Amino acid sequence: MQPDAHTLAVEQMRLGDHAFAHYADDDVRWQVPAVFAQRGLGRGEKVIIMGDPAVSHDEAYQRMAAFGGPAEQARARGQLVFSSMRALIHPDRTFTARRQLSRLREETAQARWEGYAGLRTFIDMAWVRDLDMDVDAVMRREKTVGGLFASRRYAEICSYDRRDFAPGVAEDMRVSHPVALLERPGELQAWHSAGEVHLIGDGDLLTRPRFRDAVQAALAAGAGGWVLVNLSRVCFMSAGCAGDLLRLIAQADGYDKVVVRCAGLHARTLRHLGAARIGRLVLDELPEEE
Amino acid sequence: MTCALLLDMFFTAADLARLRRCLTDTARLAGLAEPRRSEFVLAVHEVTGNAVQHGGGRGRARLWYADGALRCRVTDDGPGLTDAAVPAALPAPDFGEDGRGLWLAQELSDRLHIAGGAGGAIVTMEFDLAVTRRDTPGWASAAAPGEPARR
Repeated sequence: MQPDAHTLAVEQMRLGDHAFAHYADDDVRWQVPAVFAQRGLGRGEKVIIMGDPAVSHDEAYQRMAAFGGPAEQARARGQLVFSSMRALIHPDRTFTARRQLSRLREETAQARWEGYAGLRTFIDMAWVRDLDMDVDAVMRREKTVGGLFASRRYAEICSYDRRDFAPGVAEDMRVSHPVALLERPGELQAWHSAGEVHLIGDGDLLTRPRFRDAVQAALAAGAGGWVLVNLSRVCFMSAGCAGDLLRLIAQADGYDKVVVRCAGLHARTLRHLGAARIGRLVLDELPEEE
Repeated sequence: MTCALLLDMFFTAADLARLRRCLTDTARLAGLAEPRRSEFVLAVHEVTGNAVQHGGGRGRARLWYADGALRCRVTDDGPGLTDAAVPAALPAPDFGEDGRGLWLAQELSDRLHIAGGAGGAIVTMEFDLAVTRRDTPGWASAAAPGEPARR
């Protein structure tokens, strides 16, 4: 699936975000929830995992722990909970958006009452098959849940198995969510628009060629003047990627100005590596976020 | 001397992203606050990336809490490394594709030591913790209810 203006890495999700995730592999499927849970636990949030009903809670925990690290203590004290859509709407047997939203509001309030900063929920959309739901009703639900997130005490990932949902349905679902996640943690995607390149994810040893190629393509596509390299959605940037970026900007003689928009850490890395020595480089540093 | 092993992980290129997440969480639980936590992860990534690229494609990262500091040791089975591998001066921005990683790791670390010969490289980095915790931090625990991420 092509990245665009609302694509994000799961590491950057915050309370208030409503995200679409996708997979087509039984190993990859646990990576996004593992990181989502790990980050939520670290931020003092409660995490509810509603995995595929065909997978036991213990197996789901083991698969996530293998990727994100163990969290027995969080599970024991109820900060990390494994559940299902069927259990959430109980005693109702038929899914309705009203019942689900009401229960999610209750769970959010409960999490706050228990002292957590908020609630984040991961929902594997395999429940649609389990509860024999029709896709149109699910789509309606996805488009009308905005109020649930307004208080910024709740975050949710709806994860779609591309083997179970038709490509058109998955794409409609992706577009209908305010946030669309990269398929797996650690990858890097680039999105180009007029005079801008947006990088999303991790720039490291494995993704360095893609990082370099995306910046190179943006500089080659422009007609001079200025260009924006937007790193605001980059979670990690290695010295190699930073060095490539600086080298390409230093050699971009056709440009008066290359603006690099990035978080404080990336700005400091670029400064360490000599950003100040490149006259056409403008660092647009974003405020720090914990 | 207080010394406790917090993390022990073998890695290849495919494990680097997962290793970074483990380092981030472990450093947070050990009390290393931002922005030093992110700088610590970046420094260790540069050394582990060097092990993957030049040290036989794989390595081992171990992290200790040691007397008010986080100590990370990265070992590999490559041809070995000396202090000369760290450039004395930063290469110019428009020149060369490599050589910045170990330099940056040294810049970011409070202390960085390179040892080892034919048996492979041993790179040890230390990051001082601003506040020394009385108890030894544990890897598996997460933030308690209502507690912010920074501890």
